[in-house]
Amino acid sequence: MKIKKGWYALFTAPLMIMFCIIVIIPFFTGMGYSLVSWDGLAKSEKVFVGLSNYAKIFSDKQFLTSLVRTTLFTLITVVIVNVLALAFAVLVTTKLKVRNVARTMLFLPYLIGGLILGYIWQYVLGDAMSTIGDMTGLTNIFFNWLVNKKMAFCAMIVVSTWQMAGYMMIVYIAGLEAISDDVIEAAEVDGAGFWRTLINIKLPLIMSSITICLFLTLSNCFKIYDVNVSLTGGGPNNSTEMVSMNIFNEIFTKSHFGYGQAKAIVFFVIIALITLIQVKITGDKEVSA
Amino acid sequence: MKKRKIVSLVLATVLGASMVLGGCGSKGGSDASNTEGASGESKGKITIFQQKTEIYDQLKELAKDYEKETGVEVEVWQISGDDYYQNLKTYMSSESGPTVFSLSSSTEIAEMSAYLEDLSDLSFLDKINDDLIAKSDDKTVGVPMTAEGFGLVYNKNLISEDQINTTDALVQTIKDAAADGETGLGLSQEAYFLIGQILNTPFALQDDPAQFCQDVYDGKVNIADVKEFQELGQIFEAIKENQKNPLEVSYDDNCGDFATGKTEMIHQGNWCYSLFSSYDVDFDMGIAPLPIAGNKSIAVGIPSVWCVNTDASDSDKQLAKDFLNWLYTSETGADYLTNKFGFIPVVDGMEADNLDPLSQAVSDAIAEGNIIPWTFNEEWPAGIITTYLVQNAEEYFSSDMTTDEFLRALNDSFVTAANE
Amino acid sequence: MKRKPVGKIIVNILVILLCCVWLVPVYMVIVNAFKSRAELYENIFAFPKHFTLEYFQGALKKMDFLMAFKNSIIVTVIAVGIIVLLSAMTAWMFVRSNNKLSKFLYGLLILTMLIPFQTIMMPLMQEMNQFGKFFGIPFKDSLGGLIFMYVGFGAGMGVFLFHGFIKSSVPVSLEEAAIIDGCNTWQLFWRIVFPILKSITVTVIILDVIWIWNDYLLPSLTLTSIKNKTIPLAMSLFFGQYTIEWNMAMAALTFTIIPVIIFYLLCQKHIIKGVAAGAVKG
Repeated sequence: MKIKKGWYALFTAPLMIMFCIIVIIPFFTGMGYSLVSWDGLAKSEKVFVGLSNYAKIFSDKQFLTSLVRTTLFTLITVVIVNVLALAFAVLVTTKLKVRNVARTMLFLPYLIGGLILGYIWQYVLGDAMSTIGDMTGLTNIFFNWLVNKKMAFCAMIVVSTWQMAGYMMIVYIAGLEAISDDVIEAAEVDGAGFWRTLINIKLPLIMSSITICLFLTLSNCFKIYDVNVSLTGGGPNNSTEMVSMNIFNEIFTKSHFGYGQAKAIVFFVIIALITLIQVKITGDKEVSA
Repeated sequence: MKKRKIVSLVLATVLGASMVLGGCGSKGGSDASNTEGASGESKGKITIFQQKTEIYDQLKELAKDYEKETGVEVEVWQISGDDYYQNLKTYMSSESGPTVFSLSSSTEIAEMSAYLEDLSDLSFLDKINDDLIAKSDDKTVGVPMTAEGFGLVYNKNLISEDQINTTDALVQTIKDAAADGETGLGLSQEAYFLIGQILNTPFALQDDPAQFCQDVYDGKVNIADVKEFQELGQIFEAIKENQKNPLEVSYDDNCGDFATGKTEMIHQGNWCYSLFSSYDVDFDMGIAPLPIAGNKSIAVGIPSVWCVNTDASDSDKQLAKDFLNWLYTSETGADYLTNKFGFIPVVDGMEADNLDPLSQAVSDAIAEGNIIPWTFNEEWPAGIITTYLVQNAEEYFSSDMTTDEFLRALNDSFVTAANE
Repeated sequence: MKRKPVGKIIVNILVILLCCVWLVPVYMVIVNAFKSRAELYENIFAFPKHFTLEYFQGALKKMDFLMAFKNSIIVTVIAVGIIVLLSAMTAWMFVRSNNKLSKFLYGLLILTMLIPFQTIMMPLMQEMNQFGKFFGIPFKDSLGGLIFMYVGFGAGMGVFLFHGFIKSSVPVSLEEAAIIDGCNTWQLFWRIVFPILKSITVTVIILDVIWIWNDYLLPSLTLTSIKNKTIPLAMSLFFGQYTIEWNMAMAALTFTIIPVIIFYLLCQKHIIKGVAAGAVKG
């Protein structure tokens, strides 16, 4: 289809201009700041230090550990969230009576903002867990997860999953509902059972939803901040500090604006690479209409 | 279509309920519009931004009274306590800062010094102890809001002062309490209440805290070899061995345990009294010094100071100064400070008649001069409590780290943070 | 898939049970909106001893709820409206004229979704300040400025979702037929393409509404005066430095999420309807 340049500009320019003003320009300004030593206040002196902020990153153990930790967290959470969200979506798009109620209930967690959510889960994973432990005697599973390094990390996964699964479910639902009934009926006439229909018919047809959800979960997990701050605060002894929190502390608590920006740029490049690989892989499998 | 009806019914109910419940709220709104109408002859406007969310309502009332009295409009900005400083910095850097704002440590004051107006010409400065006034390059830049003090907040029904007047006695009290199934000395998981404030005392007890800190940063002395710190270590050890892990206790739980008599004392300050109001507290309480190395003083400091934005227009700056003068010298202003905000007065001659018992204890200690300073606000590297020290304490309470290793880890954190 | 009725009932019950477990934290939000601090300390999981609307009233009053509600509605409705319209247009254009420029711009939009917000907030605020001065329009402390910023930030996800949907589910043949019938590009998009996008449009609306309705950081940086506060900002009053006024915060939260739930219920029907309508046409 041939489209004239004028139409092209009319359709895309308004959004792209706003986008450039709001995101691109500040991003490049921020990149410039990664080359200076500065405390973040406009009136303070900015000393040009070249790439030395970047050089410092490679000897910053705390940052590097949190980078590895965040990657691990992301990989695990992305898998769990997507499997669960897809399961939910399939469940609530079947002919179950309670599907509409279930849909809303499963989606509810996403309506509670990240900060409050973390505080509430502190009680569930802390107080409730140890109470159950005291009652049942199963103290090796039921104890305050948040004071144990490994379990605090698991707690991050549990809470993020709880929050994001309902959100991704919405996107999967949109994909599943878009499959025309004819296709499904045809499959059923051919004698395909529930699982065959799901794997051979539905999954390939919602590949674009899968791409979208993987991308969204990847970027949300990598950038996780609210839940981190309110649930574990990075503790115990920094064992759950994720990269966003590390950067945030560098910029605002320690007032190392330039260095924090440099970390952010490195972080950005890493997640960009990972997600682009993902989009490339799953995007190739998409079926075009 | 039944569903639609139900949904719209629910919607209507919610809106209706919020209207009814919000009756008071909307009344407040119409008040505001009235005053806006009256300020046709407005004499200007200043904005105030400060960290204490608990005085927000009272501050808004004060703003109304001030406008009634002087015709100057005062707008109060507010943000959650945690986000305050970060937002202030961003506002300032994009030239949209408030006229009057609060800062809470000398690190913040040093960092923001280019934005702080010289306040030397305020009329009441001679009535405030010179040590309490915030300075930058010998300029007066901040006037103290209030004083606060912390130490061992204890239940007078459960323990007497001589049970906690030496380190040994305190350690014994903690052990005895544990034997009775109670908590002796409650700490809680937040950085300041786990380690930040309690670690202040051994620093403040040194002859010259500033020099001592410098020596630590330079590696000339290790706190693990200093007596005051070792005694604090004994107390930590007693807590670790005898009590519920402080990492599992939140600030609210800690205060709740104290208010309900399950904990004999907590390391806290006078500010926590406001939490007790919703409990039926049926005992007397007091603040005792943390008794390490024979210490007899509670730690008192200035949690925050009022500053004026030097970027504001000259007329606005004058309005801001007039406001501060009014706040500290007029009868209405003093009434707000001492009674409605519940602040411990810092201006000579300003009396507070109905302070809560903990604030009264702090106020008395100030009057007797029986206090030690807050070194964490003045001397410690920026952000060390929340980024380094809390990690050390979390490690200590969640692993088999020895107390000596703990003290050495703290020392390392000071060296690292100071030389960063 | 035909099952016996008993089996069906059991599956239904199991699903509801799963949902209930899933909602334990939400239950905590609601019950704790009725408890005093002392009662909350006693047991945070228990049912409240008596129902009092004290904290709901207190929260509404302290937050100046109606004002905040109005501001939130204005910002959310306008910003989401603009995001949806503009990003649908942009995404369609990108798919249909898949040239180098489209690919580059699309890639740029996607990539920037990965930027941690904290790293651009300071430069953005400085830039907005300069813009405000230059054009003489307030970008800061104004709802309009906030909406403008939301459109910029929402562009990435909006285009991303529409792009994926258009590529996989909107047949080119339909559009070609319309062109033969004499539609110009503008008419083609609004009369033929946009109606087909209904189900993804609703999805984008839902996701963006929730994001903007709950967003705290961006408004906290741009809106300062009381008259401009949105709901999440007004709620931050209950978050002191060390302690949270739980009952008030939970009451406020309940009030905040109810409109979104209702909104979601209304939208949900349209996702299904949209598809049904599409199926009839197809």
